[in-house]
Amino acid sequence: MKRVAALVAGLSLCAFAASAQPKPEPPPTPQEFAKGEELFGSICSHCHGPHMVNPGNASFDLRKFPHDDRARFFNDVMNGKKSMPPWKDVLHPDEIEAIWAYVRTGGKAPQ
Amino acid sequence: MRKLLLAAALAALLPCTGRAQTAADLMKGTQDTSNVLNYGMSYDLQRFSPLKQIDRQTVKRLVPVWNYSYDDNKSEESQPLIYQGVLYVTTNGATMALDAKTGQQLWKTKIDYPPETPRIVCCGIISRGLALYEGKIFRTTLDANVVALDAKTGKELWRSHAIDFKNGYSMTVAPLVADGVVITGISGAEYGIRGFIDGWDPDTGKHLWRTYTVAGPDDPNGKTWPGDTYLHGGGSTWITGSFDPDLHTVYWGTGNTGSWNPTTHPGDNLYTCSVLALDPKTGKIKWHFQFSPNDPYDYDSVAEMVLATLDIGGKPTKVLMDANRNGFFYVLDRTDGKLITANQYIDKLTWAKGIDPESGRPIPTEITDNVRKGQAQEVWPGAMGGKNWSPVSFNPETKLVYANTLNFGMHYKPTTPQFRAGLTYWGADIDWVWPNGPRGYLKAIDPMTGKAKWEQPSDIPRFAGVLSTAGGLVFTGKLTGEFEAFDADTGAKLWQFKTGSGIEGQPVTWQQDGVQYIAVSSGIGGVYALFSGDERLSAVPAGGSLWVFALQ
Repeated sequence: MKRVAALVAGLSLCAFAASAQPKPEPPPTPQEFAKGEELFGSICSHCHGPHMVNPGNASFDLRKFPHDDRARFFNDVMNGKKSMPPWKDVLHPDEIEAIWAYVRTGGKAPQ
Repeated sequence: MRKLLLAAALAALLPCTGRAQTAADLMKGTQDTSNVLNYGMSYDLQRFSPLKQIDRQTVKRLVPVWNYSYDDNKSEESQPLIYQGVLYVTTNGATMALDAKTGQQLWKTKIDYPPETPRIVCCGIISRGLALYEGKIFRTTLDANVVALDAKTGKELWRSHAIDFKNGYSMTVAPLVADGVVITGISGAEYGIRGFIDGWDPDTGKHLWRTYTVAGPDDPNGKTWPGDTYLHGGGSTWITGSFDPDLHTVYWGTGNTGSWNPTTHPGDNLYTCSVLALDPKTGKIKWHFQFSPNDPYDYDSVAEMVLATLDIGGKPTKVLMDANRNGFFYVLDRTDGKLITANQYIDKLTWAKGIDPESGRPIPTEITDNVRKGQAQEVWPGAMGGKNWSPVSFNPETKLVYANTLNFGMHYKPTTPQFRAGLTYWGADIDWVWPNGPRGYLKAIDPMTGKAKWEQPSDIPRFAGVLSTAGGLVFTGKLTGEFEAFDADTGAKLWQFKTGSGIEGQPVTWQQDGVQYIAVSSGIGGVYALFSGDERLSAVPAGGSLWVFALQ
């Protein structure tokens, strides 16, 4: 019985750990993608590359950004990180949301 | 006593920094081969040295003698200056003085700017260099300050604020000292600035004058801008001008319009995409010549205005030469700004049929007519131009201009941006159009015809400055890190050395204690690396450093 209890406890711990991982978000709608692509092109592309393609030496290759880590993306955009400047006083939250929707696609339009 | 003797001996070993360089020293340019006191190596920006210890035969023995880490991973485009054995150089984050012979750091003064600043920098976090005058160093900061440092100690002497960076203004330019005035430009045409050139008192940092490069209502040429469009009209000035001390005239190029979309500001849009001839004491415009009126394509004309005396119709003539971003090579009479000739110097150019020899205006093709109706088109050259900022070298012996030219176009679609302070104000969506083959060539261009005597292709285009010498050599570098030497007559590649990052710097040469040295910065991170999407550069790490070479 003790063994069963330990097994159940172990399973629930695993379940808890799994639920703490970031959840993959559903792909953006074509409208969300289009808005994000436009904002990315205007605000981000001259450092992060056209259509998110860049060699990744002088600026971060955003295609490698984890597509399930929304919190990290928002934190880096709002507060800056290394060469990335902070944007919180000029970009509106819905604009960052739209850029995140685009970044999550790796630059590829949703099917 | 022993200590005193030791101190005296040590002092004797240190490079001499006793005498402050004067206006007369600055005028010597490359005739003084022991120093490099000017951006462009002389006021005429020729980047030609009469030194010939390193020549076609000896260059194979060229080896690095020291390397200095910038402790910086940005684009390293700064041109070093050398004065009495001390090498001065900048990055975006520091100014440094080094023993030119050994690379030993003498002092380093760091620069702080707010972390928001890179938001308003379109094309790399960059400093292009400094100016020296009467014991002081002058440089600009990314957040639009002009700073003077004591050349002996690096101590800041004054700091003058040019304008608020949060409205899109930044500074990467190396200042020019002309007729005793420190002159600086500004960056930010992609952020809807109204460009200008400033004059400062070298002793105190007092602001002496500001000349707007976008004419306003107080200027008769203000009528070339409808309504209040001049307020965000662009016209940046981020490359150092040339100076003719005899004519007391500075020649400074101006950038593209804001926004790029020409339908948002119909008219010639003076003085964008132009060269201005200025009185350095007052900033007054003596004459202007506009290369690309109502420019849609980012054919920014800031890049170097090289001065020379050429034989025009049997008469030695004071000319100004410009390998313009719009793909035409211009020769102007610099006494009055009249066009002498303008010829295509790149292989493919579709936006204009030519330059009208009488008016100096481009003759637009149907493509440009359509763009001015708001239509999307494929255009050559693309927004990085036929040549970008990378400075050329003019060799007065071969009479050739050595230039890193570009060979790619763009799909261009005009858009109508809304101005928001501190954000981009592009006015067009673009996608690059690549050729089947090299994206760039180092060319040896005849300035009077635009034709190349020779060319050296590069799949990934070169974005470094060019240096030529009386040793019959042309030096430049690749974004993949190779620092290279070519035969000035034939273009044959004679030597190369692989540095640790991409080369975007401006090579210089000088002679010290009988040895000819060549210095160049390595460090990738400029406009092509960031904005081309060229993944072939992924194996080129960032990391700035200065390399100095001499014969083994």
